[in-house]
Amino acid sequence: MQPENIALKTPYLPVKGTIRSIQPMAADNYLFDITESTGSLASCKPGQFVELWVPGVGECPISVCSGRVGESIQLMVRRAGRVTSALFQLEEGDWVGLRGPYGQGFPMHEFKGRNLCMVAGGLGVAPIRSVWQYALDHREDFGKLILIYGMRHTTDILFRQELKFLLRRRDIDIFIGAEEVMGPELPPIAAQLGRVTDMLRLADISPDYCVAVCGPPVMYKYVIEGLKKKGVPDAQIWLSLERHMKCGIGKCGHCFIGGKFNCKAGPVFALPEIKHAPEAIECANGEY
Amino acid sequence: MQPVYFLPKENFPAFLEALKGLGSVYAPVKVSKQSYSFKAVEKASEIAFEALRTILPPKKFFYPPSETLISYDDGRILEYQEEPEFKVIFGVHPCDLAGLGIMDTIFEDGPADSHYVRRRRMSMLVGLSCMPDKHCFCQSMGTDCPEKGYDIFLTDIEDGYFLQSQSTMGGAFLDGSGMTGILERAREAHKDRYKEFWIRRKDAFSIGFAPDNLRATMDMEWDNPVWEELGNRCLSCGNCTPVCPTCYCFDLVDVASLSGDSGERRREWDSCQFTGFAQVAGDFNFRPGPVDRLKFWYRHKLHGFDDAYGFKTCVGCGRCTVSCPSGIDDIVAVVNILQSSKKAENKSDAT
Repeated sequence: MQPENIALKTPYLPVKGTIRSIQPMAADNYLFDITESTGSLASCKPGQFVELWVPGVGECPISVCSGRVGESIQLMVRRAGRVTSALFQLEEGDWVGLRGPYGQGFPMHEFKGRNLCMVAGGLGVAPIRSVWQYALDHREDFGKLILIYGMRHTTDILFRQELKFLLRRRDIDIFIGAEEVMGPELPPIAAQLGRVTDMLRLADISPDYCVAVCGPPVMYKYVIEGLKKKGVPDAQIWLSLERHMKCGIGKCGHCFIGGKFNCKAGPVFALPEIKHAPEAIECANGEY
Repeated sequence: MQPVYFLPKENFPAFLEALKGLGSVYAPVKVSKQSYSFKAVEKASEIAFEALRTILPPKKFFYPPSETLISYDDGRILEYQEEPEFKVIFGVHPCDLAGLGIMDTIFEDGPADSHYVRRRRMSMLVGLSCMPDKHCFCQSMGTDCPEKGYDIFLTDIEDGYFLQSQSTMGGAFLDGSGMTGILERAREAHKDRYKEFWIRRKDAFSIGFAPDNLRATMDMEWDNPVWEELGNRCLSCGNCTPVCPTCYCFDLVDVASLSGDSGERRREWDSCQFTGFAQVAGDFNFRPGPVDRLKFWYRHKLHGFDDAYGFKTCVGCGRCTVSCPSGIDDIVAVVNILQSSKKAENKSDAT
């Protein structure tokens, strides 16, 4: 064997994490707080993701949803497929595997000193939460902050307690809206009916804003149109794209967009980078 | 430059014996009336020197169709690295050398895929010249003349082979004492025949296209009706991907023991032509139909890595063309359609 081979470690080896707490947030949406002792995830940046492994079932890419990764990492997971369904069967104290952090997150250094608008649709609020937490932790580094968070039903709201607290702050403008009222109402001040695009119209966004967007694939076209109307240049719009990143390291090909691996070059892209890439923000089946 | 040698054909068995001294030798072997496969060989008579394209490209030696990446046992996560045995792959044609070069780039790009890279490092590639058939179009893809990617390359110059080495390992092998009495220093006549061969080969291609504007063409023709026409005939069988020397996509799967306490995490070749390949949670599919998937595959082969790595991922071997049951993976024909002028249609638009 050649000596250089000894140093080559498999990039597919997860670290072991222990579920410290599981907090149901909405139907089928739980917040998992997972401790990990090696510190390998401490460098997580807003918008990056990890591969979460349920042994015997599989891995799935999950966005980091806290701006402060220390001894534990928070992951907001929706029960949507095989792996996440298995994860929902686990209990506090059970172990899982974690690989990462992967991908390019939101360019927080580029946002510094500028006004920042955060746009979240549905579960897209998870990575956006890491952005607002980071921005609020470094509040003096940023200009005005706007958070727009839309969801389908009022019952879908995630991070309700945290948002209630945020709504009391004067240094961030918050718009929360749902398309339909169901069950308990939204936090009162921001409660309104409407889509993300309706709230975009209401928000006082000037062309000097940087915008961080994350939501379901169907949302992007409309958000981009809305921001265009506000005069925000493409280069200031950053989108986190959803794909099934299976390996996370630019090998397996599942997340390929245009000419790039979403897991390595993304998942966060500046709009000009992907604007003309086929399949990037348009959907093959024409559904928006 | 590295010294060049002449191997008389009658000395080939001795040359093969010397290669076997390095490790197991794999070469194209005839496995049916019209198909060949890279298999372990003991004797020169087993080697099908006439083979053009094997069923599977040599990527299978470094990137097997299914392999274990990690394992777990009773709460412990374990690295799983087999110690690769040294392999000599003999009879690799220029297209497949180029294909392995592309695989190397993808798997070596950080973080490197240790499973592939370890096996690749424990290997020697011995290239062999070939004459194109009616499906070969490596010339169009610029992969017809190997300038890198091999350890030793053999050009068939009738009564023997003209040998070049490129790597330190290949050079050491040819220069070594083991080759005494087997190889001769190439003389001027051999060099002339070598040059003649490659000129003759250049003119032997019967199909092809001009690759110069391929990048722009693939972008411009994203909505060309040919995609609908071909895609609607696609069976989504995925035949075109395992046979491709540069298709690297895989799935990661867990194989658990019955008790559930232990198991393995494996990777298996996947295909972008399968329905669920680009599906995300919530059943949203970025490429739901065969038209979307076929179009994606063509674009990836002919334009896909221009931005990420600066090369195209088709090497012109023709394997997809011959293995597609619907006859829609004819890259040359499709490129010719895409590149053809639409003047006639424009005229009718104007009137």
